[in-house]
Order: sequence, then C-alpha cells, then structure tokens
Amino acid sequence: MKQVLAILALLVLAFLFAGLVPMASKPGNGAVGDYYATHGIADNRGSNLVTSIVVNYRGLDTLGEVTVLFLSVMGVGFILRRREGTPKYSPVPASPILNTGANLLFGSILLLGAYIFVHGHLTPGGGFQGGSVIASGVLLLILARRDRELSHDLLAWLESLSGFGYALVGLVGLVVAGSFLANKGVLPLGTWNRLFSAGVIPIIYILIGLKVGAELSTLLDIMIREPAPEGGGH
Amino acid sequence: MIYLDVFLCVLTVICAVAAMVTRKLVAAAILAGVVSLIVSYLFVRMKAPDVAMTEAAIGAALSTVIFLIAIRRTEEEER
Amino acid sequence: MADVILELALVLAGIGVLLASYRLLKGPCPPSRAVALDVLTLITIPLLVGAAVMTGRAIYLDVALVYGLLSFLGVVSLARYFEKGV
Repeated sequence: MKQVLAILALLVLAFLFAGLVPMASKPGNGAVGDYYATHGIADNRGSNLVTSIVVNYRGLDTLGEVTVLFLSVMGVGFILRRREGTPKYSPVPASPILNTGANLLFGSILLLGAYIFVHGHLTPGGGFQGGSVIASGVLLLILARRDRELSHDLLAWLESLSGFGYALVGLVGLVVAGSFLANKGVLPLGTWNRLFSAGVIPIIYILIGLKVGAELSTLLDIMIREPAPEGGGH
Repeated sequence: MIYLDVFLCVLTVICAVAAMVTRKLVAAAILAGVVSLIVSYLFVRMKAPDVAMTEAAIGAALSTVIFLIAIRRTEEEER
Repeated sequence: MADVILELALVLAGIGVLLASYRLLKGPCPPSRAVALDVLTLITIPLLVGAAVMTGRAIYLDVALVYGLLSFLGVVSLARYFEKGV
C-alpha cells in the first residue's frame, strides 16, 4: 500500500516540476549568472569557470561546507567509539587475488586523486572529487589487509592542519588585499591554462583535497572496525 | 543518439522503482549504484563534466560500501 | 564514414546495456546482480569515450578514467560482503 502512495507522490511531483523545464538555461534570466559568465575568466584567469565560482565568488559557502563535513565525521566518531573490554571484530582473511590487486592499484588510485585536485582550476574536478578518490584507495587497503591498523593520529593532524590552512589563506587575503578570501592581490594571476595560475585557487583546492581525503578515510575506518554488537547481529 | 538517451532514461526510472519495491536490502543497494552510474553518463550528455565527475567519484565505490556496512550491522530483510 | 561507425559502436553498446540490465532485474540470487553491475560499469566506459569523441572535447575523458579505476572497488566490496569479511 505505501509503495502505491510513494509512486503517486512521485507523479504529483513530476507534474509540478514539469512547468520549470522551459525556463532552464536561458541567458538573460538573472543578473548574477550573466555577470559570472562574462567576467569570470577576466577576474580569475582559470580555465574552469565552475571552480572559480566555487572558490572565489562563493568562497565563504565552501568554508561552511568544509565545516559541515568535519562536524559529521566528529558525530560518527562520538557515536561509534570502541569501549574497553569489548571483543574485536575478526573477519575472514582476504584471498591472494585481492592482496595482489590492492598492491598494484593503490599507487595508481592515489596518483589519480592527486592529479584531480592539483589540476582543479584547469580540468573538471577539484578538491572534493580528488579527496573522494583518495579515500577510495584507502578503502581498498582496509578491505584487503584487515590485520593492519590505520594511524588515526596522522589522519587527525592532516585534517586539522588543512582546515586551519584554509582559514589562514583567508586571513592572509584580509591582511594583504582588503577582504577575506580575496584572489586579486595576494598571488599573481599568471597566464591562462598554466599550472601556476589563477591566484590562490590551486592552494585552496590542494588543502581541501587533503582534508576531505583524510576525513572520509577516518569515517570508513571507524565504521568498518566497529566491534560486533553483543547478543545479536551477524 | 537521442534514442540511446531516451532508452537510458527509461532504464533509470525502472531501476529506481525496482530499488523501492524490492524487499531484499542488498539488491536495493546494487540498484541504487546502477542508477548513479547511468545518471553520471546522462550528466556528460548534458555538457556538465564537473557534476559527472562528482557523481562518479562518490557513487562508484563509497556510496555502496557505506550501505553494505550498515546492512551488515543490522538486518538483511525489510519487515 | 567515421560518424557511421561511431553511431554503430554506440548502438552495440546500448544492446549490451539491455542484456546486462535483464540479468540485473531478474537475477534470483544477489551475486548475479553483482556481476551485472560489474558488466554495466565496463560498458559505461566506452559510452563515455564515445560521447567525448562525438563532441570533440578531451575534458570528458577524465570521468571515464575515474570509472576505469574505481569500478573494481565496488565489486570487491560486494564480494567481501558475501564472504562475510567486510
């Protein structure tokens, strides 16, 4: 019965949103979008317009989003803490195929993640995507070698220093150029389509990539290594 | 090319409805992963490579794994 | 001539998607659905490369690169769940 109601609700929503389809992607619809489209390249000189909007024009929202990620990982860590005296969860060890595959692929996945967040201002991608790819590489190691432990101290230091560095870059912008997270006067803008261009944007994306990678790795490690519940479950 | 896009849109809707109707939770997690995969291709067809790369980086491995960890710690069938 | 061959390749990939989705929706036991998911990710990579060649932009190839490396991980996590090792 509730599935029929769910499908009915979906049809009503589709009927309501059908009126929005002809209004999409029309130039001249909003003043802010037109300003970003015409002045974005001249202001930032990075090839990726989405990146320059996310980090420069809307940089304060990105700082808030990084804070939200940090709060969610902190919440999971508080709830799923391991207490003294509970038995550790010892699963089936991995087969040699998985061990060989993990040894071969881990370096390539780390390299791909670093490539994505270092070139964030040139190609599609950026800090959040690169951090997720790095966390997937760490997940492969966790699944293949269950007897080794991740060093939570190193991950905590990496994450805290990256978040602190992001706020520090904003304060440097405040001191040098006159506004928080400014891009114009802090570092030279450089020539178009080169690696060292677009001001502060590559530095901010490198810090975000390291922070998100460390956070998601900590989250996966806490969730997988939680001990088995007593008296029920598998 | 437009026939391929229409076919993939219809397949997305069928997989999403199947993920909602089924009672086995592992099947629902796998069908959600397939929906994420096809939606990533449709984002590339709509000329939005940033959104497509975000969907690929998260939906390829991380989303399915977190569902499977939660299913391992709780129950396997929907009551 | 190159356009015709490209369209034919994409139509063949679409037939592959149809066959794999039949096994995905029907499969009586969960490991068969996991195998169907693996085949679908392997077909999506040439679909993305075909979309990049048709529009002529090289930046669409990065998405195919991400799927090429990470599809192995999704299937491995499913397999570890089935042998009770997650």
